[in-house]
Amino acid sequence: MSGGVAVTDPPVTARASWFEPLVGQLLALLASLAIAVVFGSALIVAYGESPIEVYSSILDASLGKADGIGYVLAIATPLIFSALAVAVCFKAGMFNIGVEGQYLVAMVTAAWAEIELGFLPGPILVPTVLIAAMLGGMVWAAIPAILKVKTGAHEVVTTIMLNGIAVSLLAWAINFPLKFTDAPPGQNVDLRTDPFPEQGLVGDLGKMFGITPGAHLSWLLFLAIGAAGIVWFLIRRTRLGYDARAVGTSPGSAKAGGVSIGATQLKLFLISGALAGLVGMQQILADRGHLPQNYIVALGFTGIAVAFLGQNNAIGIVFAAILWGILSRGEVALQIQSEVPREFIIILQGILILSVVITYQIAKRRLAARQLQRAGEAGALEDSAGPGDAGSPPGSEPEPEGSKAFQPADEREG
Amino acid sequence: MPFTDIAVAVQISFTYFTIIYLTGLGGLFSERSGIVNIGLEGLMIIGTVTGAFGARFFTDTMELGQPWGPVVGLLFGALCGALFAGVHALATVSFRVDHIVSGVVINLVAVGLARFLSSAFFDGQSTQSDPGGPHLARLDIPGLASLPSGLGRAFQGLSPVVLIAALMVIPVWFALNRLRWGLRLRSCGENPEATRSLGVSVTLYRYQGVMLSGAFAGMSGAFLAAEHIGNWREGQTLGLGFISLAALIISNWSPIRLMFFAWLFGFAFGIPLRPGLTDIWAIRDVPEQFIRMIPYVVTIVAIAGFVGRVRPPAAAGRAYEGGGGP
Repeated sequence: MSGGVAVTDPPVTARASWFEPLVGQLLALLASLAIAVVFGSALIVAYGESPIEVYSSILDASLGKADGIGYVLAIATPLIFSALAVAVCFKAGMFNIGVEGQYLVAMVTAAWAEIELGFLPGPILVPTVLIAAMLGGMVWAAIPAILKVKTGAHEVVTTIMLNGIAVSLLAWAINFPLKFTDAPPGQNVDLRTDPFPEQGLVGDLGKMFGITPGAHLSWLLFLAIGAAGIVWFLIRRTRLGYDARAVGTSPGSAKAGGVSIGATQLKLFLISGALAGLVGMQQILADRGHLPQNYIVALGFTGIAVAFLGQNNAIGIVFAAILWGILSRGEVALQIQSEVPREFIIILQGILILSVVITYQIAKRRLAARQLQRAGEAGALEDSAGPGDAGSPPGSEPEPEGSKAFQPADEREG
Repeated sequence: MPFTDIAVAVQISFTYFTIIYLTGLGGLFSERSGIVNIGLEGLMIIGTVTGAFGARFFTDTMELGQPWGPVVGLLFGALCGALFAGVHALATVSFRVDHIVSGVVINLVAVGLARFLSSAFFDGQSTQSDPGGPHLARLDIPGLASLPSGLGRAFQGLSPVVLIAALMVIPVWFALNRLRWGLRLRSCGENPEATRSLGVSVTLYRYQGVMLSGAFAGMSGAFLAAEHIGNWREGQTLGLGFISLAALIISNWSPIRLMFFAWLFGFAFGIPLRPGLTDIWAIRDVPEQFIRMIPYVVTIVAIAGFVGRVRPPAAAGRAYEGGGGP
């Protein structure tokens, strides 16, 4: 705080230039969709089928009937939570690949709340369980966050390790403290917890729209969409979100601007953990009604893919999760009526996410090069001005690539 | 004989040592060249499915028989791992995608790709292959295998790959520390800008590092599926890729220390697999799930700097500007 300089704005990109990144992102997204479709078509042709037929059967299975839409939205629900959890951390320049472990721990705490507090009436029990889940996720997220802030341990490594621990913790929980007590004698039942009380489950939403109960569509979907809205507000309209973006874009200037990097990162990580805690709820409260041994894995990692597909934007994530759901649901179509194996869908999703990651990176670099060039032009006029003022109106058309964008090494992202 | 259970646990630990060490060496080559590789688990998965297929295909269909069939099968797993790692290299080196992002994608895609390959390889079975695939003849280590009071059991019936993995430390150490190639590889991981200024292609070395990483992890996966288990099953890697990453970190990216931690973590992994052992030891009342947590906990403690600090290669994970590419 030496010079007492009036630190006004951290160098977040000037508001006038929000349009360009958006177009860049959309183009990148469209390009990667095109790449995935083309690669996919080549594969389909290799199996001797017609790409148009296969693609339209996928769309028909997922969007053609109300049931299909129900399945798609039910698949999307947990993915919205987990992608939001990833995106929240990402905004502050952190990588929470521990969503995986956080939601496993949260499923344990939620199951524990269901079983211990099963005497409560539904309107109290369900919120309590959701809070227990969020707390579970937050506790598991607090460990890497505190270690990062206090010791500098990289969150990627610690969260990977905590994922491994969470798997064992869940296995221990359903083997010992939460092991089912009312197993029918002589029957070989899969390892799981006791069934949750009826009033502790979230109701089936599909009935209202004539969707089969098999889809397990629940009002958790609205909770997920609401969470997306909250995250959007948090990042775009609050002090914390502003600090987070400053820390994520340029930690040095954020610090100079008086932002406590550690406190910001800790808060964001806890919010991320709370969101991660809700990932498993669709599965245990809407679908299964107990915590099983064969729970769905990798929802956290898939969330990372969805977050990227949605380009870490809260609204984009909702659509990305639905797109992911459409593809996943498409497996059914392949299973029923095609030479193409159902695993084709996973390959398609893989190609899509790979190309999104790469095209997005290319778009980002082009943009950065342009901005750098503009900053250079502006800087030539007004050399002493801070980098925050670099967003002056674009003067001339930027020259094509090849400008020597030799940035300093601290450009590291992620 | 009271020691038999311990000896068997040690013997199991040798198997898991092999898996963790080979995969860890893979990570070592990649990270020493400056590319963080958290996709080791995914590379191993590709190794398991292609290795299990390769062992059967080259032994029976191509009639190479013993021992060449299983050997070529292992190499096939390594080759496929290297090719798949090429995707990671393409993304991180050529397109400069964030290393962590690319690694996560590798892990995600590997699961799907493995199913896809499996249904192509094994008559539409997408999650497993038939058990009892061909493997190399088991080996007793001379001398040690005849130790008294059951201790020799630890050195009996090992796959030759275990021995190869243990001896691998010599060429790896030599290549990294005594060859110009190794020196250049490491300098790419420490200071790519300086390396480039000496006229060395950072891109080329990083591609080599990452693809070697895939070869080792693929070989490890192939060993797990074809040699150890005998068939491919979905999910059989059990997070061993991440345990290997843990071993690599805690051993400070050194191939010699990695040997020790790979064995230690392999032992922690092996204890719960030997029920007799859990009866006789003081660990009787410790649930096996807690034993399985040991490698991860130890690594967190180490990375947080509570006992000595680990230091990754300086440029690992950092975006490197320069060289070709868009």
